Amino acid sequence: MDEKTRAQVGGPRDPREGLEAVVALRRTLEALEAAQVENAIIAGWSWARIAEVLGVSKQAVHKKHAGRIRDKYPGEPPRRRGT
Amino acid sequence: MMLIRFTNRSRKSVEAAFEEARMLGHDSVGDEDLLLGILRAGEGVAAEALSSLGITLEEAREESEEMLSDALSSIGISLEEIRREAGDAFEMRMPQGRRLPLSPRAKNALVGARKEMRGLQDDYLGTEHVLLGILSNEDGTAVRMLAGMGVSPEALEDRLFELRGRAAG
Repeated sequence: MDEKTRAQVGGPRDPREGLEAVVALRRTLEALEAAQVENAIIAGWSWARIAEVLGVSKQAVHKKHAGRIRDKYPGEPPRRRGT
Repeated sequence: MMLIRFTNRSRKSVEAAFEEARMLGHDSVGDEDLLLGILRAGEGVAAEALSSLGITLEEAREESEEMLSDALSSIGISLEEIRREAGDAFEMRMPQGRRLPLSPRAKNALVGARKEMRGLQDDYLGTEHVLLGILSNEDGTAVRMLAGMGVSPEALEDRLFELRGRAAG
């Protein structure tokens, strides 16, 4: 693609840069989802409510996140005090 | 994974690469993770060459995060703001249960390592061969990561052969 065409359709100067941004975003998205689900659980939200906002089934969100959160907070389910 | 003729040290460095990849939230083990693995395992000629050029595991991890942050910036996203918004719960780490595959570049690096071993007529595959295999991909993430830390593949190769003259592994 020459400069002129690129200017018309947009996009990064270097395809690799564009593709690497996708990888970076995917990694970050996964980490952000994990963090916000954890935050919601700590805030006292149920899996059903989290799933509803994420637009996925309760089973899906539980399967993806429950084990990790349980490992991180062994024993009592985490609850933020005062909420 | 087939790690035929790998020494204990080079085997450990590959195992450490999987740990590093998981820690950094990578969904596969990349060539840069193999490099980090060598630093994490911290033994052998390759680790010695890297540290003699002033490269530490901490610095390499920071460089890796900076590359992630730069890639996000290029599409207008601030990693710092995401961190601030998501709070302490935000970490790039991959959950333990998930198995990570080797990326195509990492596979190439290990194939390259075997070629280096043959080319040098060695009968073991040490950390130096793994590092040479990583460096053989000039377009790889590891080579760019090293460049970001001010080390060229040529300088690193020279140091590697210098050290190899004295010890192997």
